[in-house]
Amino acid sequence: MSAKSVAYTTCYMCACRCGIKVHLEDGRLRYIEGNRNHPVNRGVLCAKGSAGIMTAVSPARLTSPLRRIGPRGSGSFEAISWDEALRTLTERLAAIRAHDPNRLALFTGRDQSQSLTGHFARMFGTINFAAHGGFCSVNMAAAGLYSLGGAFWEFGEPDWEYARLFLLFGVAEDHDSNPIKLGLARLKARGAKIVSFNPVRTGYSAIADEFVAVTPGTDGLLVLALIHCLLESGHIDTEFLIRYTNAHHLIIDAAGTADHGLIARDAEGRELAFDRRSGALAPAQAIGIDPALTGSFALPDGRHARPAFALLAERFTAPEYAPEAVAERCGVPAATIRRLAGEIAEVAFRQPVVIEQPWTDTHGRRHARMVGRPVAIHAMRGISAHSNGFHSCRAIHVLQMLLGAVDTPGSWRYKSPYPKPIPAGAAPGRPGDRPAAPLTAAPLGCPTRPEELLVDAQGEALRLDRAFSWEAPLAIHGLMHMVIARAFEAGPEKIDTLFLYMSNMAWNSAMNPGETTRMLSTTEADGSYRIPFVVVADAFASETVAYADLVLPDTTYLERYDCISLLDRPIGSAHGPADAIRIPVLKPERDVRPFQDVLIEVAGRLALADFADAQGRPLYASYAEYIVRHERAPGIGPLAGFRGADGQALGRGEPNPQQLQRYIDNGGFWVHHLPAEQLYFKYANQAYLTGARAMGLIGSSEPIVLQLYCEPLQRFRLAAEGHGPCVPPQRLRERVRRYFDPLPLWYVPLEQAVSERASYPLHAITQRPMAMYHSWGSHNAWLRQILPENRIYLHRDLAAELGIEDEDWVWVISRTGRVKGRARTMSGVNRNTVWTWNAIGKRSGAWALAANAPESRRGFLLNHVISEFLPAEDGAAAHSNSDPVTGQAAWFDLTVRIERCGAETPDETAPHPEANPLRVRVAMGRAT
Amino acid sequence: MKPAASILLLTTLTGFAYGLLAWLGLYGAAGASESADTLVLAGIGIVLALATLGLIASALHLGRKERAWRAMSQWRSSWLSREGLAALLTYPIVLGYAWAQYRAAGSLGTRLLGGIAALAALSTVYCTAMIYASLKPIRQWHNPHTAPDYLIYALFSGATLLALLRTIVFGTAGIAAVLAAFGALCALVAKLAYWRHVDAQGPLATLASAIGLPKDTTARPLDAPHFSENFILREMGFQIARRHARKLRRIALALGFGLPLLLSVLASLGVLPLLSTSLAVACAALGLLTERWLFFAQATHVAALYYGRRI
Amino acid sequence: MTMVANRPPGARQLGLVIDLDTCVGCHACAVNCKEWNTGGEAARLPDYDPYGTEPDGVWFNRIHSYETGTDGSARTVNFPRSCLHCENPLCVTVCPTGASFKRADDGIVLINTDICIGCKLCSWACPYGAREFDETNGVMRKCTLCVDRIYDETLPEAEREPACVATCPAKARHFGDLADPQSKVSQLVRDRGGVDLLEDLGYRPTNKYLPPRQAQIPSPAREAPARSGSGLGTALLKLLDKALSR
Ligand SMILES: Nc1nc2c(c(=O)[nH]1)N[C@H]1C(S)=C(S)[C@@H](COP(=O)(O)OP(=O)(O)OC[C@H]3O[C@@H](n4cnc5c(=O)[nH]c(N)nc54)[C@H](O)[C@@H]3O)O[C@H]1N2
Ligand SMILES: Nc1nc2c(c(=O)[nH]1)N[C@H]1C(S)=C(S)[C@@H](COP(=O)(O)OP(=O)(O)OC[C@H]3O[C@@H](n4cnc5c(=O)[nH]c(N)nc54)[C@H](O)[C@@H]3O)O[C@H]1N2
Ligand code: SF4
Ligand code: SF4
Ligand code: SF4
Ligand code: SF4
Ligand code: SF4
Ligand SMILES: [Mo]
Repeated sequence: MSAKSVAYTTCYMCACRCGIKVHLEDGRLRYIEGNRNHPVNRGVLCAKGSAGIMTAVSPARLTSPLRRIGPRGSGSFEAISWDEALRTLTERLAAIRAHDPNRLALFTGRDQSQSLTGHFARMFGTINFAAHGGFCSVNMAAAGLYSLGGAFWEFGEPDWEYARLFLLFGVAEDHDSNPIKLGLARLKARGAKIVSFNPVRTGYSAIADEFVAVTPGTDGLLVLALIHCLLESGHIDTEFLIRYTNAHHLIIDAAGTADHGLIARDAEGRELAFDRRSGALAPAQAIGIDPALTGSFALPDGRHARPAFALLAERFTAPEYAPEAVAERCGVPAATIRRLAGEIAEVAFRQPVVIEQPWTDTHGRRHARMVGRPVAIHAMRGISAHSNGFHSCRAIHVLQMLLGAVDTPGSWRYKSPYPKPIPAGAAPGRPGDRPAAPLTAAPLGCPTRPEELLVDAQGEALRLDRAFSWEAPLAIHGLMHMVIARAFEAGPEKIDTLFLYMSNMAWNSAMNPGETTRMLSTTEADGSYRIPFVVVADAFASETVAYADLVLPDTTYLERYDCISLLDRPIGSAHGPADAIRIPVLKPERDVRPFQDVLIEVAGRLALADFADAQGRPLYASYAEYIVRHERAPGIGPLAGFRGADGQALGRGEPNPQQLQRYIDNGGFWVHHLPAEQLYFKYANQAYLTGARAMGLIGSSEPIVLQLYCEPLQRFRLAAEGHGPCVPPQRLRERVRRYFDPLPLWYVPLEQAVSERASYPLHAITQRPMAMYHSWGSHNAWLRQILPENRIYLHRDLAAELGIEDEDWVWVISRTGRVKGRARTMSGVNRNTVWTWNAIGKRSGAWALAANAPESRRGFLLNHVISEFLPAEDGAAAHSNSDPVTGQAAWFDLTVRIERCGAETPDETAPHPEANPLRVRVAMGRAT
Repeated sequence: MKPAASILLLTTLTGFAYGLLAWLGLYGAAGASESADTLVLAGIGIVLALATLGLIASALHLGRKERAWRAMSQWRSSWLSREGLAALLTYPIVLGYAWAQYRAAGSLGTRLLGGIAALAALSTVYCTAMIYASLKPIRQWHNPHTAPDYLIYALFSGATLLALLRTIVFGTAGIAAVLAAFGALCALVAKLAYWRHVDAQGPLATLASAIGLPKDTTARPLDAPHFSENFILREMGFQIARRHARKLRRIALALGFGLPLLLSVLASLGVLPLLSTSLAVACAALGLLTERWLFFAQATHVAALYYGRRI
Repeated sequence: MTMVANRPPGARQLGLVIDLDTCVGCHACAVNCKEWNTGGEAARLPDYDPYGTEPDGVWFNRIHSYETGTDGSARTVNFPRSCLHCENPLCVTVCPTGASFKRADDGIVLINTDICIGCKLCSWACPYGAREFDETNGVMRKCTLCVDRIYDETLPEAEREPACVATCPAKARHFGDLADPQSKVSQLVRDRGGVDLLEDLGYRPTNKYLPPRQAQIPSPAREAPARSGSGLGTALLKLLDKALSR
């Protein structure tokens, strides 16, 4: 008779955080299924989640700490003890910290413990910390946080229950893998219409009722054309605009002065509006006024000011935004744009959703019911991964505001703990007053004015990756994709230890893996490496592991505690806050340790504040302890549920020693369901804001005014025009002036603007395959059967024109290089776009696969033809290939041409770096 | 369909064997005299050897050979079961017939047994044929040609073997060569008719109907479920180039039927009988193997539609 | 005795209804099926060369994708393919051993791997490519409709459904008794025009597929001027003239 048991924990085959029910038989994994009570996935599980039992037995799992013995990249290592590994690391870090903590750069990828890793960095005192968002979707996060106080990116969701028209921009899979699918099914069941704007018709776009094959990088323009149509036809929710946005706020019109474009304020600092009823200026937030949305009004000082809406309407009613003017560029017929605008208007204004639920706004006004505009929008990396993504995303948010479709029944909604004041969070932390001091705040934050940037007296970047500098002022997630290149540029003076956790930065998250690996292995004249010391904490034998000097082997997700925290990226939904844990379900039989335990131990050994007491004694023996006992602010810790001595407190409460057990008993998660009265209009919902504040989700219960007009951007623009104490260096002024437009803006993506159209006429993009998570799946025996290699997909007609047939080998050629793969033709793709699945190509030898595995023989990375730099303009330093506002990596700006390979080339992808499988020498006397 | 060597061997060998047995049985049934004993007995020896070889080949094809015995149980519905049973039942009949022929050639019982043996032989061949003919998803098999064709090929190949045997035993092929020639002619015509039939057939279904859409919707495969070849593709997705097939068809016709026809005519005219009859057997064997290979290789399975293959 | 004719009239006919209108082609059902069945009652589902050059294995469910139609009606259709538990299953009648059988009381078509000889004939008889040979164990394998779940009384009632149905994130898979006209699945088939695959071949599959649909916004507002690009539209100006109250 075998011993059967079940355990509830959280999946980590991707970042979606589904609840799982793990069945064990004699301590071995038997079956993983979805936890039916879990708020994220409600019992369903995706392909990756279902393949978890094969990841637990993957031959690619690391088995002990490693010290490099061959050259970087060779894969030659020696197994060492944990004690030795931690000693090496701590000594090194202590030395760095004593002089210049910024010489440690801690960059983490798929990290779900950023509140820990970020806090470590802060307490260590390095500004050089970033986590995943920078190469991912910071455009979505930033545009959202600066516009709505929430974002598409993990901070919001469509109202699946009530939406009647769902617009999906550039989404293949997203972080909300299962919730989106569940949601689409609900929309389908109700017969709601789904429109997908995407160059490629697969996945979600396949089941969309309408597929709009937009040309990559032009969504912003398309949305502005929709706005144009709505403005012209008067389909604008003016009532919504004046109640909840800054549309009526008066914008100072005094070109050339230091206040131009800022919001006019009275002596108390209150924003002003023009009250048509009294014919005078009034505080914009006052109730009972009839604010003007157009016109020009004199301010007490004689200057004039115009409502933000007037500026917006003036700009977007111009002929250049008419559907006819944008159709060709967007690849969408004008008639389609007009029809879509009509459909949007129809649903928003003729089919409002009414919920008979009274609520009270922040002014104390009682509303008898909740009335919503059932047009829901969701957007992700198709918007984000372009260098104009911040503004394109802003354009979408502006569309939402004009429709009054923000957190109303049927529209897009905030996920708890959002909304937050705009912009959310403090400015980025600055170095302390002495080397070993913690940063003044968390290393990542939201600057709202030039003075909050991390720049030196010359206006040059302090951070290695140049986040929060004039090159990327709103880089609120850092520039992950630039850190290796910038570390290489800066050299040993500025960088000592590059500490990478859970990110495959020498391969699929390198904008150019060839260059990146070259930089990692370049030596100085004395033979030392230019990037002195590389630490990689990973669970598997990735491509990047081969470039580490020290490897810290992590456990798999079934072997450790984790915490999916409200301080980080929790599992909250529009229905209320929620968070979750992972628990060790299996016992590792290898010499591996949970990374968080290791980091906490290192922090303890370094006696960092918050990790060690005044005597330098470590505070926590393990992450599990830290989760329960650590308090970020009084009463607020990593987990919000079951706080307080009795486990009854929500969000805020003293630590509860039984907390983890309570989570375990509850199936691994905690969720608080908001009362019906708090479910919508959260930015102005008194009950919600008061409650959220009590729970510690937000610092104030003041109403959150949605930012149709983004004033902080204007502050940076004014600096670029020379105003204020902190101004950009001359070479960057024009750039900042141009892109820091307080109204949405569309421009040709930077890379495309510099790539010669005639030579590179095609757009090249990637998509997420549903059954594969970045580089995580190729060592999974089941998932790799589904997608062991990728193809370059192109339109049938284009293929015919180029003489290319299915399965032909072709070169994909960009301005910086070429990569070889096999072609596949299709018709559901924008005529001028080619695409492939992301991260399928593997380096030969990596991930414990056969040297000639299909992943390395025929699988390829498009990254080989991307570059992290734009071409330098005569003599000037090259800009990174990023959004100039946020530093978002512009993966999808790539343009290429395609050529059929000659008969002579071997049937193998190129570039094809030689195999470097992990070769571990086991020291004498140590168990293998 | 994948032309598995074991199955090609099985059907060709048993074709020869049961074809020969049919003729030998008919011999007996016709009241063959004692002078034919050697012929019949030697022939039966050959029949048993070939049939057994064929059966062994077919057992080798099984995933669980040790369970082969179970294959006999479903005679009420399964042609494969019936084939096995028929093949098995044929053994005692053949042995009985051989014994009778040896003890009492020409007797009523022997004649009856001869008839039964012939019937058993043809039934076995028929069962084999029906295994293929009953498979609806394969239009090249599931048609009125398959069963008669198998019988014709068996009788033809058996006749060539008989002619050779007769030449060895009696020095001349005699009537057997005429039978072989006639058989070759029939086989040739049957094969041509078969090809005509299958070439004129439209596909059994369209991809659209296979995925539940109206038949005339256009449908093209975008991505297959998995990249590596899988069982379905290996087994049912076998593809052969048209040009290649045309050549092989010509070879099968010439080698399998044309040459044996010519050689059998020569043999019947008494021209180098030993050489011509043995060559006829050899040609028939190679030709029929080629024909059988094509019978599989050119057969398409509806399931291959899902992978975008033409059927 | 495996003859199919023995199905009593009115017997249940358990099967799946698969909604091609919502299937996003995520492979979740396929992998979860593999996971469930690999540790299930029967032998593991083999994988061949799992970390090598030709990774392959036995799957009971595979997800294809197709492009259908032209221009206006063009679509990408994801298509999960597994055993359809036919009412008229040639895969059963051709089987020489009785290993392949259809259950009289619920219509599930199963393989008894303890007596299967691995002759592969049933796989030839199935037009849907639903049967896969298990090279490791020398026997044929196929979807079991999760008999080891749907009748498992140790499971809570709600969980007694096939693994692929339970896991499908797009809710594109439904399980039930298709002989019962009142069942949820029968209703779906009626309402949505569920179809048989390869109907002409006469296998009378139990599983049904719901065809893709296209939702429309009934009457889009049509107030946009035919020509535009000249400042604020009159409609908007009217709107802005209205007294607003903050
Ligand atoms: N061309 C192109 N490139 C892209 C993108 C694109 O769309 N196109 N997308 C970009 C985006 S959005 C992102 S987010 C990045 C992602 O890129 P990366 O952050 O590099 O993500 P992964 O490939 O997931 O690599 C993460 C690493 O985590 C390791 N890992 C897995 N599980 C564990 C664990 O439990 N513990 C530890 N310690 N390690 C673990 C894996 O082994 C792997 O080495 O890629 C970017 N790269
Ligand atoms: N299965 C799986 N799930 C994942 C991941 C994974 O690797 N695998 N990765 C996770 C991560 S890190 C992230 S960031 C998310 C990202 O999730 P998604 O946002 O879904 O990311 P992508 O697959 O990069 O999707 C981008 C989509 O945008 C389209 N697109 C490209 N350019 C444009 C454009 O200019 N306009 C429009 N409208 N569309 C465009 C592409 O065709 C593609 O369909 O997914 C997460 N979830
Ligand atoms: S979406 Fe899939 S892989 Fe990601 S957490 Fe959920 S079940 Fe796991
Ligand atoms: S789908 Fe195939 S295997 Fe399943 S019952 Fe029908 S014929 Fe048999
Ligand atoms: S492979 Fe097994 S189940 Fe299939 S027909 Fe042969 S014996 Fe029957
Ligand atoms: S019913 Fe069970 S065996 Fe059949 S496909 Fe679904 S999960 Fe697999
Ligand atoms: S799980 Fe559902 S949506 Fe995904 S492939 Fe299977 S049927 Fe389609
Ligand atoms: Mo990402």
